[in-house]
Amino acid sequence: MIDILLYIVLPYLAVLICIIGSIYRIRKEPMTYSALSSQFLEARGLMWGSLPWHIGISLILIGHILPFLFPGQWNALLSNHAMLLAVEGLGYGLSALCLLGLVVLGARRLISSRIQSVTTTMDLVILLLLLFQVVLGMLTAMRAQYGSMWCTGTTVPYLWSLVTLNPDLSYINDLPHAMKAHIVGAWILVLLIPFSRLIHMFSVPISYLTRPPQNVIWANPRHQKEKAEVFARDEARRHFIKASCGVFGGLVLLSVGALDKIGQFFFGPRLSFSEETELMESKLKRLELTAEQRKLEVERRENEFILVAALKDLDREEGKYFIDYQMQPAIAFKNEAGLPQLISAKCTHLGCTVGNKADKEGRILCPCHVSYFDIKTGTPNQGAPAEAPLPILGWVVLNSKGEVLASRSKTGEINGTIATQDAETAQVFIRRADVTG
Amino acid sequence: MVETQKVDSTEPETGNASTGDTKPALFSFLLERFPIEKMNFHYMVEKKEVPVHRMSWGYYTGGLTFFFFMIQVVTGLFLLFYYQPTVSDAFLSVEYINNHVSAGPLIRNMHAWSSSAMIFFATVHLIVAFAMKSFEKPREITWIVGVLLLFITFTFGFTGYLLPWNQIAVNATKVGLQSIDNLGQYLGPFSHIPVQLRETFQGEASVGQSTLGRFYAMHVVILPLALVALLGLHLFQVQLHGMSKGVDEKTKKTEKFFTAFFFKDLEVWAYAFLALFVLASCIPFESFLPFPLLEPYNALGATPPGIKPEWYFFFVYYPLEMFNFLFIIIASTIVVAILFLTPWIFKGTSRRNLRFIALAVSAYLIVMTIFGEQIYHWWKH
Ligand code: HEM
Ligand code: FES
Repeated sequence: MIDILLYIVLPYLAVLICIIGSIYRIRKEPMTYSALSSQFLEARGLMWGSLPWHIGISLILIGHILPFLFPGQWNALLSNHAMLLAVEGLGYGLSALCLLGLVVLGARRLISSRIQSVTTTMDLVILLLLLFQVVLGMLTAMRAQYGSMWCTGTTVPYLWSLVTLNPDLSYINDLPHAMKAHIVGAWILVLLIPFSRLIHMFSVPISYLTRPPQNVIWANPRHQKEKAEVFARDEARRHFIKASCGVFGGLVLLSVGALDKIGQFFFGPRLSFSEETELMESKLKRLELTAEQRKLEVERRENEFILVAALKDLDREEGKYFIDYQMQPAIAFKNEAGLPQLISAKCTHLGCTVGNKADKEGRILCPCHVSYFDIKTGTPNQGAPAEAPLPILGWVVLNSKGEVLASRSKTGEINGTIATQDAETAQVFIRRADVTG
Repeated sequence: MVETQKVDSTEPETGNASTGDTKPALFSFLLERFPIEKMNFHYMVEKKEVPVHRMSWGYYTGGLTFFFFMIQVVTGLFLLFYYQPTVSDAFLSVEYINNHVSAGPLIRNMHAWSSSAMIFFATVHLIVAFAMKSFEKPREITWIVGVLLLFITFTFGFTGYLLPWNQIAVNATKVGLQSIDNLGQYLGPFSHIPVQLRETFQGEASVGQSTLGRFYAMHVVILPLALVALLGLHLFQVQLHGMSKGVDEKTKKTEKFFTAFFFKDLEVWAYAFLALFVLASCIPFESFLPFPLLEPYNALGATPPGIKPEWYFFFVYYPLEMFNFLFIIIASTIVVAILFLTPWIFKGTSRRNLRFIALAVSAYLIVMTIFGEQIYHWWKH
């Protein structure tokens, strides 16, 4: 019986009185349909009380209305765990903001002598009620976690059942007491709207943000300067409010889209077994390549001769890359006499590695800025960016017993010949003596 | 102040140009650039005003550059968690960021996009400051430090580019460093210096592990420290001397720096962040590079064809390809000298003429950056 009174009769009564009372008051006493500002009596307390309270309560109310209007979408949104945590966290933060605001506002009405004289009993009652509401809300949030989630199965259908004139209390029967008190408190507040300064919520100046700036022009030059300053401050404040809305919206979006991912960024990926194996394999391969490079270097420091290739593997059109004594790339070709032709592959222009495919005129191309080099002489083509010729390297050809068959010195003179029967087994080397001289 | 100035100007007439007399001149020069009486919160923040006129948008370019630098610092620190600066692991660690780390591609993309944005806005900032004559006395130090900051920003780009250690980056860096060598032939007795300089940067005879290590150290420690220090001086000077007026005619309106302009600045930053975030989420930076970025460096392979630096080096790269090297060297030396001496060279130039020069320079930069490749091919044939 008492439940029916509190959760069915009271709501209808409250809404009815609120609507009729508000219309009556706005019609009959339009001048009192405002917040009855006391700013000119005391401004500082107002700033520290009113601002946090209004920011907090507006957003909290939006958070109460959204699930009521769009329960499906709201549920979908909160099924993202990061979003749920963000909404709950925001709820706590904003409630704390409200609490702070209320305490300051209350203290101001009780302590400041100037304000006391314009404070009615109703003002104090409203403040106390609001304080209760906020505390009860926070208690509910702490006791029964994730209210933003369970509300769509309890209070939202309850409210809809009221709206559709088909009241159903079964939805809220099992709610904690704090929550039930929160509901009753809400109806009482609705009921009190027309009898208190709460009525000013019907006159929220939303258009303040979108209307063009208004500058009051004073005829008196002394006022003019002062007003210009007030005007500038007003402009700045509007920018600030808009920017805060933007930043807030942005942060919400960011937390939905990126925050959990970025948290995961630091935690690091946990790869599957096969992924991990694959990664290790590629790491090992890169390490081997690096080791190879190092080995080549050591080899060139220790050995008098370095193997380039087997003579039979050399080709007239497609050269074979190798690393010379200075650890620079070079290319080995075979010339028309069947002898090796070794040429540096480090472009004399800016040091790119020259390509290893000879064109019809027996030239190789540096792709970086297009220089053609003659394989026989190393000279670049006319007008090429490279001016100096590519060095031609010396070589020796050894047979399988390690005897010298033929060689080319640094100065370019060729000694010896290679018999056809040796050509199959002969190997081409470069030697340190050609480099150090 | 006025008195000291008078003393200065009479000094040369007395013909007493010994070192003892230049001291007060230097002293008063510094005193004018660092007026101690203005070094307080009231003067530097509360009282500062920003003129409102048709070039006012120019006042946002510096802030935007700073904003993108902050993005670079944050995303760069993120990347440091996974990046490994060794020849064998660098490439794989970047690939790991890209393929496995949560939000890794986003962070790396933001770093790459925002580096381009930072360089773009730093350049625009310099050009606009030039057009508005913001280097006018007593703002010479602001200008010179600004030019240094621009150079540092470009160096950031150059060093960062090598870090993923992919085929293109290593080869492009080799070419870039090697071109220092070419200077040698014009230096006569000092011809060995460029090679020494290059090897100092490289850390060894050719680009390798030491190079990677040094570039890494520069990119994540030395350059950020240098940039922050110079930026501090730059901003200090800006707040100290207030905004330059920017146009020749008298401006009727100003707005307070704090809070009006400051909030507008924040608003612009918010839009920039939105744009960057959307861009980085949707378009991988690599998709603009017409060559395989994600191919690890291979010391044995031929240089891939078509290597070129990042877009912000096109304005020197293509001329370098087209014209005689000596000509380019002389031209760039002159340009750099002009940049540093701007406050004195253009002392008496009207803003109308400065705007004209700025427009011409911008036209060159835009054309060379967008059509450089076409111009190059056209030139060659
Ligand atoms: C404190 C500041 C910075 C830190 C700690 C930092 C760190 C890094 C790291 C670790 C990398 C390698 C990862 C990768 O290649 O994706 C990198 C790459 C890069 N950085 Fe930075 N950076 C900073 C500032 C800057 C600035 C100011 C710029 C340019 C204006 C810049 C431009 C680049 C570029 C172009 C790359 C190559 C991007 C890529 O290919 O992925 N960085 N940075
Ligand atoms: S590096 Fe070979 S042509 Fe320029």
